[in-house]
Amino acid sequence: MITRQFGSEVRWMLRRPRTLIGLFGLVLVPIIISFGIWTAGDDEGGGGPGLAAIIQGNGMVVPIFTLFLSLNLLLPLVASIWAADGLAGEAQHGTLRGLLVAPVSRVRLLFVKLFGLTAMSLFAVTLMAVVGIIAGTAFLGTDGMMTLSGTTLGTGEGLLRIALFVVLVTFQMVAIGAVALAVSATTEHPLVVQAATMTTIIVFQVLSQFPSLDWLHPFLITTGFPGLIDVMRDPIPLTQIWDSTLLAGCYLLIGTGLAAMRLITKDN
Amino acid sequence: MTTSTSAPVTAPVKGAVAARTKGLRKEYGSTVAVDRVDLELPEGAVLGMLGPNGSGKTTTIRMLLGLVRPTQGEIELLGRPLPEGAEQALPHVGALVEGPGFHPFLSGRENLVRCAAFEPLLPRRQIKQAVEDAIERVGLAQAAHRRYRGYSLGMKQRLGLAAALLVPRKLVVLDEPTNGLDPAGTREIRKIIAELHEAGSTVMVSSHLLSEVEATCTHVAVLHRGTVVAQGELTELLQAGGSALQVITPDVEKALSALRQAKISARPLGDGLRVELAGTSAPQVIETLVQGGARVFEATRWKTGLEELFARLTEAEEAERGMSAVDTLDGGRR
Repeated sequence: MITRQFGSEVRWMLRRPRTLIGLFGLVLVPIIISFGIWTAGDDEGGGGPGLAAIIQGNGMVVPIFTLFLSLNLLLPLVASIWAADGLAGEAQHGTLRGLLVAPVSRVRLLFVKLFGLTAMSLFAVTLMAVVGIIAGTAFLGTDGMMTLSGTTLGTGEGLLRIALFVVLVTFQMVAIGAVALAVSATTEHPLVVQAATMTTIIVFQVLSQFPSLDWLHPFLITTGFPGLIDVMRDPIPLTQIWDSTLLAGCYLLIGTGLAAMRLITKDN
Repeated sequence: MTTSTSAPVTAPVKGAVAARTKGLRKEYGSTVAVDRVDLELPEGAVLGMLGPNGSGKTTTIRMLLGLVRPTQGEIELLGRPLPEGAEQALPHVGALVEGPGFHPFLSGRENLVRCAAFEPLLPRRQIKQAVEDAIERVGLAQAAHRRYRGYSLGMKQRLGLAAALLVPRKLVVLDEPTNGLDPAGTREIRKIIAELHEAGSTVMVSSHLLSEVEATCTHVAVLHRGTVVAQGELTELLQAGGSALQVITPDVEKALSALRQAKISARPLGDGLRVELAGTSAPQVIETLVQGGARVFEATRWKTGLEELFARLTEAEEAERGMSAVDTLDGGRR
């Protein structure tokens, strides 16, 4: 029964025109990045630190670079849209009543929604990574993957790193989505959910710029994002990746808990 | 007046009960939407829930389906207490509440498939057939492939009904099912209700269209200002509430005082009086009038329909607001 509901949820999300348009938009990101770096050519000569420095002639870095950039705004936006449609959107269309009368228990409904969010996030991030690999290789060429530590990994090892990064980014996205679901359970207006989520993400990013607020920084999910780039070092230092993931895990638990509390007592 | 009419006809239901509420109350902030609602829905009955807009019909239905938590009171649905027993009871209940709710970007058929995926009683391999049957039953076969976005109000209602009938149900709850339907559509809904009744299902229909209720229901519950003012079998209710005597007399004042002394309620109307027969009989009334010195030219038994009963039960508000509490045309829902 639950697998059938999971299946129905994912099919429903995939049938939405806005999901398809969103996925199309996400896929454009790695293509544009590859194209941009290709046209920039060697002019910049690898100046500046970090990923941008090693990406020239290093197509396998494109998916990592793409996801890393998107995690700041684009992927949270997509997660918030899915979370918004999941509960607030269903309430708005009156379909939430139908599901509850079927009946689907409210806790199970939340898990169905969380599953849909996770499956679609994983799908979107994977899609971006795959297109990134293809576009990056096509435009920039590749001989394995150059790391930030200066070593070069073989193609197989490089793909593993990309897969690991996909999982880590998906988890961050799901954590944000879970908090958005909690907001989604309180309203009938999907736009409120998206606005609230995006405002929070942006405010977090602004707050993390102030050194005077450094006591707050360990609690902001956005401050965990940069640490994920450690998958591009050789060997991988685990501390920051672990901290970021743990932080996202807390957001996931709190978001799910709040959403469940709200959903259980809600009048529909 | 209202209490005296409802008292004799809210006798306890004999036999099994499909749904029952006791002392139901729901507050939204400081507003009391529903108060002291004691409903009994006998198994196999077709219960018409009547009430002006805002009388608490939909709120009561939503509580009955576990969508809304009552502030106070108990609910029993198909023998199970709510909300604890919701997962056992609700699979046997089909509902169309507060208008149909579907996804605009999916076709009618796809919407039903999504509903069916969440029906606990429907095995996976029967989903396709159940969806086609339901579409056929409500007469949507021509439009099933079209997107819900483009549906007319009538088609939306039909799809909502189809979703309620995906699985054979013990209880079907329809909130304003004929809203937006043309006369042919209304007849079809009546036919479906009659079929459900024949098949032994219990049906609960809320409506502000009195003719609709009179035509399809075996039982009636009248809600007014969030509380039940009368309920029972339709025929009994009409007999008890609908009998009045129209008396033509030139001596209205004398007649009124005579009746008042005999504790019979009456009011001036046209060329005479309208005398309520609750707790009394026609010969008694005439005897009282004659003994009181009022000349009776003519006395006619007034056999009322549901419309008049309803108007009388809710007349306090009617007088207060100076307008009809009944929407005979299709007014806004709620």
